[in-house]
Amino acid sequence: MKRKNNVVVSLKTGLRKYSIYVIMVLLFFVCALLNKNFLSVSNLTNILRQISVTTILAFGETMLVIAGLIDLASGAVLALAGVVSIAVFKSTGSLWIAFLVGIGLGVLLNLLSGILVAYAKTPPFIATLAITMVARGFALLFTNGQNIYQIGKYIIFGQGSLFGIPVPIIFMLLMFILTWYILQNTRFGRSLYAIGGNEEAAVASGIRVTNVKFYIYLVNGVLVGLAGILLMSRVNAGLPNAANGYEFEALTATIIGGTSFSGGLGTATGTIAGAFIVGFLNNIMNLLGVNSYVQQIVKGIIIALAVAFDIAAKNRRSKPREIATETKSNVTVATKNVK
Amino acid sequence: MKKRSLVLVLVLLMVFSGVVFANGSQEKSNSGVKRVAYIARAQGDSFAAWLANAIKDEAKNYPGISVDLMDGQANDDKENTLIENCITNKYDLIILQANNGEAQTPYVKKVIEAGIPIILTNPRIKGIVGANSVDADPYEQGAVNARLGLTQIPQNATVVVINGPAGNMHSTARRLAWKQEFFDKRPDVKIGGEQIANWNKDEAMKYMEDWVQSIPKIDAVISMNDNMAAGALEVVKNNPKYNNLLVYGVDGTAEAALLIQEGKMTSTSFQNAFELARLNMKLANEILYGGRTELLDTDIDCPLITKDNVQDLIAVYKKTGDLK
Repeated sequence: MKRKNNVVVSLKTGLRKYSIYVIMVLLFFVCALLNKNFLSVSNLTNILRQISVTTILAFGETMLVIAGLIDLASGAVLALAGVVSIAVFKSTGSLWIAFLVGIGLGVLLNLLSGILVAYAKTPPFIATLAITMVARGFALLFTNGQNIYQIGKYIIFGQGSLFGIPVPIIFMLLMFILTWYILQNTRFGRSLYAIGGNEEAAVASGIRVTNVKFYIYLVNGVLVGLAGILLMSRVNAGLPNAANGYEFEALTATIIGGTSFSGGLGTATGTIAGAFIVGFLNNIMNLLGVNSYVQQIVKGIIIALAVAFDIAAKNRRSKPREIATETKSNVTVATKNVK
Repeated sequence: MKKRSLVLVLVLLMVFSGVVFANGSQEKSNSGVKRVAYIARAQGDSFAAWLANAIKDEAKNYPGISVDLMDGQANDDKENTLIENCITNKYDLIILQANNGEAQTPYVKKVIEAGIPIILTNPRIKGIVGANSVDADPYEQGAVNARLGLTQIPQNATVVVINGPAGNMHSTARRLAWKQEFFDKRPDVKIGGEQIANWNKDEAMKYMEDWVQSIPKIDAVISMNDNMAAGALEVVKNNPKYNNLLVYGVDGTAEAALLIQEGKMTSTSFQNAFELARLNMKLANEILYGGRTELLDTDIDCPLITKDNVQDLIAVYKKTGDLK
């Protein structure tokens, strides 16, 4: 009886801890059953390619949200970085310079976000909303509202492949490794968790919170700049209007992947699982010919459920929990507050 | 105390700038130059931006007219507010590119009641008495492609359809044209997939990538604009299975012109922003200086662009610098 209870408790704990991966795997099998084309190599490659840009953005959002921050400007900044990068390539003919300019512009715009949030203490929601307008405005001004065509070799970033693997997928995996490494193996990453979990405690423990907040926006800028280069090269044009709403897609993957909006919780693996879930859903709905309106409803419901689950999990963590212990002669019940 | 001082400074700045700019515009009016407000639907929309730029350029041919460009940002409230502001600021004429005909109708009527001439462009709003209009018929834009498709799309074909934003009157009218001019006449043709890609190339690409997986054979892509058509083509451009794919769009963008020249895209219809701008400014000049009181409703042509005449379109774009 005691062994059965322990197994049940272990299963429940395991499920709670790894629920997102269980859901991802279950969804994968359901999709495979629903449509025979789902499992084809080309379809699975498509899914990875389709989610690569928003997943790279999601890694940035994950680190920000863990620290109690956010970036609502990533779509607009991505567009600006992408069109300027293409324009630089068209005038210089150098892929390297264009690449660096794209990344640089992403970092520059996020530097502004970082200054506003970290040093001017502007709420991240407001600061990055302002940067959205600035970035989009600049993108439209720079291109006069028109698309840039004839981008030549630039498409290699978004449409090339290395050893048969599409380049965007390679970049996505590299950024996953980078994000995982930062979060799991660096003091900087641990600082993000500490700040998001309890900022006062983080200050008291000697973490230079202001600097960390500033630098994480710069890291985000690298990811956003890269995403801009990949998107524009994938669509073979500089589109100043592109990526509207991409920040929300990225946040969707982040939250579904278990990153908590209240800060202090989240992982790179959870985010990539969240991205896969969104990618599988989008793909299977298209393969099944589900109407656009219904797709929107489904996505909205999933976001609502993910946030509700997150809030419920947070409430569970802050409630008192009973722990039963068995001694030789009697059963004692201890109460432990768990945050 | 600091906060109050800051608020006071900001209020003073607002009043000061209002006085300065009001005086500025009054000066323009006093100097005999007629003031025209051009309210664009959304300068973030590439066609609307093109039209706005074309209006600005065309206005240079009329030294007696100054044009102020305004951006409705694809927002009905914003657009309606701009219309009201133009009435308050006593513009001599308003050219309006409506975001939503129904939402703008009451405000257009206010302009007419205020005695300000108004030209509705791209689109016209039906049922308004007292307004001029210069438009390109979105039904005809779709229809010219659909009529070509009647002769080209093979028997028992499977096609995919890519639409613009839900409720967008251009997309709706073009789609209606395809229904009436093509699908109603060709019951043998099956629609393998139909989705909304919001005029966006990347969204259209994602749908096409998935359709290629799930639909064994796609004979044609029917798109309500060139951007989305180009997105669909981007997916299959290196796939020999789709060498004979028929692709139809609307707008006559530079990219579409190149794709038609390369034989990848089948046709588009040219929505000539330069011509729209020319007719708008010509009409504005006739009203403001020519004493024209008779209302005008006119449409520009929707020429079908195929590989037979695409060189003319490419020449236009080379002249404007959009293509090299």
